[in-house]
Amino acid sequence: MAKRVVVDPVTRIEGHLRLEITVDESTHRVVDAISSATMWRGIEVILQGRDPRDAWAFAQRICGVCTTIHALASVRAVEDALDIQIPRNANYIRNIMLGTLHVHDHVVHFYHLHSLDWVSPVTALKADPVKTAELQKQVLKWAEPLIALAHDYTGIKAYARKFPKATPAYYKAVQDKIEQIVESGQLGIFAPANWWNHPDYAKPKEGGKLPPEVHLMAVAHYLEMLDTQREFVIPHVVFGGKNPHPHYLVGGMNCSISLNDGNAPVNAARLGLVQTSIETQMDAVNFFYLPDVLAIAALYFKAGWFYGGGLSKERVLDFGEYPDEPYRDFSRTGDYWNKILYHSNGVVHNFKEGVEKAKYEQFNKDSLEYIAEYVQHSFYHYKEGDNKALHPWMGETIPAPEDVPPTPWKFLDPSRKYSYSKTPVYKGMTHEVGPLARYIITYTAVKQGHVKPSFVDEMVVTQIEEVTKYFNKNFGLDLKPHQWLPTTVGRTIARALEAHMAANVNSYFMKKLYDNIKAGDTAVANTEKFDPQTWGSGIKKGVGMTAAPRGALSHWVVIEGTKIKNYQAIVPTTWNVAPRIKNEYGEQRAAYEAAMLDTEVKVATEPVEILRTIHSFDPCLACATHIYNKDGEEITSFNVNSACAV
Amino acid sequence: MGKTYWEVFKEKGISRREFLKFASYITGLMGLAPSMVPKVVHALETKERVPVIWIHGLECSGPSEAFIRSAAPYASDLLLNVISAEIDDILQASAGVYYEENGKIVYKGYLKHEEDALNKYRGKYIMVVEGSIPLGNDGKYCIVGGKPFKEEVLKVAEGAAAIVAVGSCATWGGIPKARPNPTQSVGVMDFLPNKVVINVSGCPPIPEVITGTILHLALFGPMPLDEMGRPKQFFGNRIHDTCYRRPFFNAGQFVEKPDDDAAKKGWCLYKIGCRGPTTYNSCGNMRWFGGISYPIQSGAPCIGCAEPDFWDKDPFFQRLQNIPLPNVETTADKVGAIAAGVTAGALAVHAVAAGIRHFNKKDDEH
Repeated sequence: MAKRVVVDPVTRIEGHLRLEITVDESTHRVVDAISSATMWRGIEVILQGRDPRDAWAFAQRICGVCTTIHALASVRAVEDALDIQIPRNANYIRNIMLGTLHVHDHVVHFYHLHSLDWVSPVTALKADPVKTAELQKQVLKWAEPLIALAHDYTGIKAYARKFPKATPAYYKAVQDKIEQIVESGQLGIFAPANWWNHPDYAKPKEGGKLPPEVHLMAVAHYLEMLDTQREFVIPHVVFGGKNPHPHYLVGGMNCSISLNDGNAPVNAARLGLVQTSIETQMDAVNFFYLPDVLAIAALYFKAGWFYGGGLSKERVLDFGEYPDEPYRDFSRTGDYWNKILYHSNGVVHNFKEGVEKAKYEQFNKDSLEYIAEYVQHSFYHYKEGDNKALHPWMGETIPAPEDVPPTPWKFLDPSRKYSYSKTPVYKGMTHEVGPLARYIITYTAVKQGHVKPSFVDEMVVTQIEEVTKYFNKNFGLDLKPHQWLPTTVGRTIARALEAHMAANVNSYFMKKLYDNIKAGDTAVANTEKFDPQTWGSGIKKGVGMTAAPRGALSHWVVIEGTKIKNYQAIVPTTWNVAPRIKNEYGEQRAAYEAAMLDTEVKVATEPVEILRTIHSFDPCLACATHIYNKDGEEITSFNVNSACAV
Repeated sequence: MGKTYWEVFKEKGISRREFLKFASYITGLMGLAPSMVPKVVHALETKERVPVIWIHGLECSGPSEAFIRSAAPYASDLLLNVISAEIDDILQASAGVYYEENGKIVYKGYLKHEEDALNKYRGKYIMVVEGSIPLGNDGKYCIVGGKPFKEEVLKVAEGAAAIVAVGSCATWGGIPKARPNPTQSVGVMDFLPNKVVINVSGCPPIPEVITGTILHLALFGPMPLDEMGRPKQFFGNRIHDTCYRRPFFNAGQFVEKPDDDAAKKGWCLYKIGCRGPTTYNSCGNMRWFGGISYPIQSGAPCIGCAEPDFWDKDPFFQRLQNIPLPNVETTADKVGAIAAGVTAGALAVHAVAAGIRHFNKKDDEH
């Protein structure tokens, strides 16, 4: 019999997400799944008419979790429109801030937003602290070949300071605290107590997947990382003044460098703060995050849990990242793609058949015209009918408040409009985006010989090969990358690997920053066009792309004179959370719905597996929803031909 | 927090059985029915942490992220020992689940627990709101658990012992309310005009201002607020009053353009739009991350993110002016402004902010 279950609100995410699943209770398979974004602010319309130099501040508030990424995409878009190239130091600093975000966002995602889908504080009470200390040592030992890939380019880091405490007394102390919380009846963030009755949390003997010692180790690290994560983002505080929401500048950065003056925003001592923070990032990823994720992943694979791959098996997309040196632009010469180190810019079809058979296509300037959005099942209308897809430069958005069903909602009707998210497509098709997509694309690009691999690409490939060995050697499995990567577990591993890589990238750019300052270059901003009077009249269009922690992000800006005429953001979670569409390629689901359909649910009324799969995407709903006009009018429309030509 | 009876018993080596006997004994002593024994046992075993119901409207979760950035106190100390976050959309393990069974809707997880917690802790819990409340289209721009967020705010506010609005969206409406306010959003104080709302503003607020406010409520109860509902201990000064670059303002030494020589020297950012002179917050004295920096120290002009409607006081790089020159002015400001030889705008802004403050102080004395 099929059971329909609503999951709303989905917690441990940013923003408001509703899921509805229909589970066949005899086969435990999900036969239908709905993903609905249920919030919407209209930041893009608020941006209209504003000073493009301020856009980063508004756009940054799209999200406070992946804070900084929308500011980066925004300054890149405005610089693309105004033809501004930033100085070297600004490029290095922005890269360090981005890498820092990747480390921070991925670590917090795993421990604080995702780990409780795998481990339970209640099961942790059944663990033996002595055995947990032994497990901790073993888990670190297994991860050694991956840990060895961490490289300090600066040569300053003396030794690992943040190291897991593999002693019974430490685990006993954590266990005592949890016991006190559980016994008090005030479980707080772990409430209600019966949430932990799901069979996956039980001991392996009782049908669960992980020994209680794994639960205790992960819960201890949940607490440890809760207090440590703040140290990762110190580069944002030094370079941008605060976190969340550090400050940016069109043309570079505000944080002037001087080794000559007494009160400079950046001097040797301030760089020391950044240096130390990057060292902490490395330790946390090397000795906590990566070993923990791999151990849990291996045990889930060992138990035969390969669910949740969904769309990642079929189609993935990304735009690439980390310009080694300043680039000219995105939309005129496409020089950005000549400078990047992380060659995840591409599309891969059919990775499930293996890396040799997968179909690879590079993403560059010529790909920009193929991005479009549908509103077939979104709470919007298009002037010429909802079956058309429009390029973001067209910017036509007409809200459909009358199509939002009356509240309270019982069940949504998927044959009608059911989400505040639009449906983005590339060449008419939905794609999964995110760290998993980037790992699949980079791996395929290198293995098929499409790119000359940078040190970043090489690290990605080595990580994937080492993780494969980890499973096969330590756990007696016989897996290939195309079998373990496109799964819920693989999505969670890719995030950890990307954080591991990002910490290296931070160290690499820190070295470049030191060297460049040493060579006498202290500029952080190009202010030739700081005065809007230098921009001239007429319409200028720009796009800023970046690898956000959750996937491919693009901001599209149109400037008329000195003001913003139109602003569009196509955000990773929009790609993934989107409602279904139907076009010449048939009926298509976006990534969340496809992944839920690919997940087994043991107990329909306790859909922990669905949360595990959806959390593996790290949903960010504030990001996902779009623009609107108060009067229900079309906001702007552009000539698509001229737009695509830029 | 202090030890519970059960902890003291355990330390003294007294058995669980003896402890339960003691509980039955004092239940009788208090003249309570034997059926009350379990409740007495529970009370002796536990010293309740302050329950917190933390709900989210139209927001970016910046304030929740800021909350976990706090160094003193650590978020973990607050979460495990001081408060009990019975509902917290960001950190809560359980999601809301419901389904139909025999024609009735069954609620589980978050949805069931929220209902239970609101009843159990009625009149005792701290309500924390993050995000603005959209009123447009019957509130359907933010739907939580199938219902408009505004309904959840009303429901949770009813039994709250204290209401804290955290972040610029919850305090003054924030970015959703910026022109043209597409969702017709408002902050909590405007939505609940008859309630006392503690406004912890900032986009996001300084981490220790959030945890400091919560710690204050848990330890000392109500706190002195200014006329806009902000805790006086954190919002008593303009950033300009405590800014380490203030001497450069007084000396008339200004940055004219980002990254010019003056920017390298760390001079005053007033001329490139700094909102320090009109913004009440603790950035200057507390700074961020235990004193490491704040935007001005990193060379970025303050955008005034703790002030009402700061989004519509743009463009941010344009210096503050167009404010009429009043008669009220402090000596230090006058000296500073004259020494600087700056425009009337500088003088005016400076003086107006100072004047407002004096007026408010007078107000407070009534």
